Amino acid sequence: MGIEVKLAFDLLAFISVMVLIVLGLGIIASMMGIFNFAHGEFVLLGAYTVYLFESNGLSAWAGIVAAPVVLALLGLLLERFIIRRFYAAPIIAMLGTYAIGLVIREIVRGLLGGHYKSIAEPLPGVITMFGVDFSAWRTFIVLTTICIIAATWLFLSRTSIGLQVRGSLENPNLARACGISTSKLYAFTFAFGAALAGLAGALIVPLYQLSADIGTRFLVQAFLSVMLGGVGTFEGPVLGAAAVGGMAAGLPWLVIPVLADPLVFVIALVIVKFRPQGFITQGRL
Amino acid sequence: MTEKLTIGRRRLMGASALGAAGWIAGGGGWMLAPRGALAADPIKMGIATDITGAIAPGGNANWQVAQFTVEQINKAGGIGGRPIELYLEDTASDPKVAVGNVRKLIQERKVNVVLGGITSAMRQAIKDPIVNRGRTLYIYPQLYEGQECTKHLYCTGPTPAQQCDKLIPYLIKTVGKKRFAMPSANYVWPQLLNKYARKVIEANGGEVVFEEYYPLDQAEYSATIGKIRDGKVDCVFNTVIPPGLQPFVKQLYESGFQKNGGVLSCVYYDENLLNYHPAQEMEGLYSCLDYFLSVDDPFSKQLQVDYAKKFPDTKYPFTAGSASTGMYRGIKFYEAAVKATNGDLSREAVSAAMDKAKIDQGPGGGAEMVPGKMHCKMNMYIAQCKVDAGKTRYDVIESDKMVDPKEC
Repeated sequence: MGIEVKLAFDLLAFISVMVLIVLGLGIIASMMGIFNFAHGEFVLLGAYTVYLFESNGLSAWAGIVAAPVVLALLGLLLERFIIRRFYAAPIIAMLGTYAIGLVIREIVRGLLGGHYKSIAEPLPGVITMFGVDFSAWRTFIVLTTICIIAATWLFLSRTSIGLQVRGSLENPNLARACGISTSKLYAFTFAFGAALAGLAGALIVPLYQLSADIGTRFLVQAFLSVMLGGVGTFEGPVLGAAAVGGMAAGLPWLVIPVLADPLVFVIALVIVKFRPQGFITQGRL
Repeated sequence: MTEKLTIGRRRLMGASALGAAGWIAGGGGWMLAPRGALAADPIKMGIATDITGAIAPGGNANWQVAQFTVEQINKAGGIGGRPIELYLEDTASDPKVAVGNVRKLIQERKVNVVLGGITSAMRQAIKDPIVNRGRTLYIYPQLYEGQECTKHLYCTGPTPAQQCDKLIPYLIKTVGKKRFAMPSANYVWPQLLNKYARKVIEANGGEVVFEEYYPLDQAEYSATIGKIRDGKVDCVFNTVIPPGLQPFVKQLYESGFQKNGGVLSCVYYDENLLNYHPAQEMEGLYSCLDYFLSVDDPFSKQLQVDYAKKFPDTKYPFTAGSASTGMYRGIKFYEAAVKATNGDLSREAVSAAMDKAKIDQGPGGGAEMVPGKMHCKMNMYIAQCKVDAGKTRYDVIESDKMVDPKEC
């Protein structure tokens, strides 16, 4: 029975990873209407920050704390100089952010020499509960994900800045007329999304090892999650990520693994066919 | 960029530093002219390897080993007094790009021989432009799945027989593991290697509990771990490759597989790849290759010293897993063949000499071509990963002299 609990826990851990990655993407897509194709590379930079800290003899924990800060600053810069120009043209924004992502990815690939770098878990070993061993780091990821979801939700739904963000999403003109600086809010939202991506990268890298493609691996499934969950809400992408993550980890139990990946897409597309607005439609424009 | 690009030593150092950082742009191609190249009619050697893209670590190691080996030959007076000129084209880990670049080597540079290609997909893509349309000798240096029997195409890396014939009986009879699982990446090398390995496992009284293929970048393996546990697997014969590999090995380790007496074996694992994982996950891993850094023969040791002198602190060590030993062997075989033809560089003549070429020394020992088979006999080593104070190393457990490739 122990192993079943453990495998269920692995599934939960993978869902957490998926949710962590999708969170930042979902917030930028929902609150700003920008599909950020550089999201995978933001995740990569978060992971790379931890690697830099570790290889310079600093604590990995410091790297994990620094990653969202670094990414928030980078997000602010990118928003100020590049993303801002794309608000009127979402399709061009996809291409533009893709280009940003490509530049970041190839620079990091060069810096790593194309190698994979192993980063040890800051919390090694296992936690034993009811006679079952749980990986300490996966447990930490599950708990952190829950905290981040709760904090982000409280922030967006219970604080005045959150209200302004949501207001600017629904009606930017009216928000501006009320004296809200939407350009500042957008910059803030983008930086916030980038910071979440950085944190996700920093947390997951000990599970996967650092390579230039660590983010791209998850990007397509992350977009699928956002589509499945519904753009324009906070909860939608989170639910979408949970569904996609659960399917990706669960389907190999039922079908041969090479079929599992495409099957996730087929199932998701069928769901989208019947619920084109995604799981959650409330609060949409 | 079609003009001939000749660069001196200093420029080349700069170029290889860039290459070492993975930043050489494809398309141009490099030429390394030896000192006094004008003294005698040079022999033109083309290297087609993955300087950029996903396989870049292997490709850069290959290019460095090629430069190193050719420099040694040229310093010793070249082949029969003629120096070797090296030409590099980037195959960019992408067969479509590679075909065009390889054609440049053949048509513009008019090289006498091409060495390179790492993945099987790459070999399949470039062998036709080189061997058939290009009428040029081709040497493929990587360990691979076997069954490549094209005339004028010589393989200098280990075959499935060389990697399995010793290792699998060792795992079954000496280590005492009988129930095998074969988790694999979904492409041609694992499929054909597994086919061979399965035969050897069954012939030795072992049993394959499951053989399963995954997308190359799969990130979650709880289903596989479940099967390993349910099937009471005691030996995982792994052919999953990065990036899907790291999460698999981690989950396997976390499931307590090794702690409960299970054994992980992975036949492409060299010193480079150990660094892709935390040390404790690699402890006890069995590998079987044509060379390990811990192989204790004076020639191999000296080779490493000289290589370190030429490329201090390199990111691309001279190891077996990334075709580097095969590259060294390939160049030395070619040298031996051209010596045998007394400098006749025509493909038919060199190929006929290649067919029975022999080299006395190399990383891990000498090697000799099996006449008519286009593959070579070489020494093979079984090694196990040990961990000391967080550092990994291989201990060679058994070795076998001049193992037959059993191909063609």
